Amino acid sequence: MNPEKMRNGADRLRALNVQQRVEVVLDERGIPSIVKRTAGNEKRIESVGEIWRIDDEWWRMPIVRRYVEVILEGGGRVVLFEDLMTGEWFAQMPA
Amino acid sequence: MTRTPRLTSDTAACCWIPLFALRCETARRPELASLPLALLAPDDTRRLWQVAPLARRAGVKPGMTVSQAIGLCPALKLCEPDPVHYDEQFARLVAALVTVSPVVEPVELGRAYVGTDGLERLYGSPQQIVKEIQMRSAECGMRNLPNAECGMGNAECKGRRREANDPSLKFRNPHSAFRIGWGRGKFVAWVAATRAKPGEAVPVPVGGEAQFLASQRLAVLPLDPDTHRRLLQLGVKTLGALVALPEEAVVSQFGRAGRRLWRLAAGLVSEPVVGRVVPEPIVAALTFFTPVGDRDLLAHALDKLVDRALGDPRRSGWRVQVVRVHAELEHGASWLVAATLKDPAATRERIAAPLKTQLERSPPAGAVERLVVEFTAFAPGTAELQLFARDAGAAARAGRRRALQSAAREIALRIRRPMLYHVIEVQPWSRLPERRYALIDYEP
Repeated sequence: MNPEKMRNGADRLRALNVQQRVEVVLDERGIPSIVKRTAGNEKRIESVGEIWRIDDEWWRMPIVRRYVEVILEGGGRVVLFEDLMTGEWFAQMPA
Repeated sequence: MTRTPRLTSDTAACCWIPLFALRCETARRPELASLPLALLAPDDTRRLWQVAPLARRAGVKPGMTVSQAIGLCPALKLCEPDPVHYDEQFARLVAALVTVSPVVEPVELGRAYVGTDGLERLYGSPQQIVKEIQMRSAECGMRNLPNAECGMGNAECKGRRREANDPSLKFRNPHSAFRIGWGRGKFVAWVAATRAKPGEAVPVPVGGEAQFLASQRLAVLPLDPDTHRRLLQLGVKTLGALVALPEEAVVSQFGRAGRRLWRLAAGLVSEPVVGRVVPEPIVAALTFFTPVGDRDLLAHALDKLVDRALGDPRRSGWRVQVVRVHAELEHGASWLVAATLKDPAATRERIAAPLKTQLERSPPAGAVERLVVEFTAFAPGTAELQLFARDAGAAARAGRRRALQSAAREIALRIRRPMLYHVIEVQPWSRLPERRYALIDYEP
């Protein structure tokens, strides 16, 4: 969902934990191995935790995501997800 | 044992400002009046409490969750409730009503009954009593009198006429929506108030209750939804239709509650307005072992005495309006200061602050042997605060918010842009993390 749409018209309400677009390099199994947030800022993934998938809102604009919980080099924990409708990858803070 | 006199009145004027809390917000921040506005509930910030007409037009209703409301009206402006502020505003209104009649019964935020028995000799007919109520309320910020009655200048009057025609301006002023109903008993007065237009009054002549009530909708009765539905299914849509049924038939269907409803609808029940007796002055005194001249020590003693006086059970339900401090000094001299609080208070800080200022400015001429704090005048309030703030938690939140507001103002002054937000739950159950919580601008 477009994060801008989460704001109301008066710009009063802002969604928390909005996903950020990232680029992901996948290994041969299709699991992320490197995450690039911005150009020149890429991090290797040290370990992969849970993987899950959600299918939601099939009745209007379907949302299909594959989530991967990862630990980055240096110890940062993030949740990556692939929008299976568009093939784009995003990063979010873990819940 | 002293007997407390009861202040009651059979005839009542019901003074009602619908959406009082919301109107208080728009009065405080006029820029909100033109926005689709809703107040969050004091006890559950996921739900809406009061909704402005602009937002209602978009389908937003009280009790909805924030996410439902935003879905219906994306431009909805949400406001954190400030129950203490609403309570203070209402206390001002009640204090103004007390100047008309000693018998005043606050019921809920924005609704109070004024007992009018015996006021005819002071003011004249019920219409004139109502005018008096409107005028006294005007003194606490009300703007609902036409030119001829309030003696305004032309320019001012034009402004008020503009206010009367502009709905957003009308909504901005909490008192322009002031409605009054007058009649015998609280129920008739309340129904009359609900029929009055904003800024106007509906008097129901004594003896004409049944005729007035007959055409009113069933919803004016204090009904539970099930009884309301059943009555509608029976084809009863007005109080007149209910009264047309035999009383015993209604009782057999609805039991004791049915009898009460039938009698209310027939205008046979006349609940009197019950006022409260203003307490006698409350005194707290402290005799020092050795005379004290140190100002800090005196200020500390003042705090303790104010605390002790506030704790007097007679003070319960009242805010302090006038406080006096007198001191007996060495060698028979004395010292006296008094303070009238513009906004009556029930907290030590607010009561002691003006006294301490005077202590600094004009201290006692000698060492103090005995210090006496006396609350001499009161305004209704504290009981209402507990009643309308719903719970102590809501009141405490409001207190914390005030402290935060002053901090936020300071931050805004320093960095010149809003940087404070409040986290609210939008769809905490959502599987999509970005939909669970949101930030609202925190505006002091």
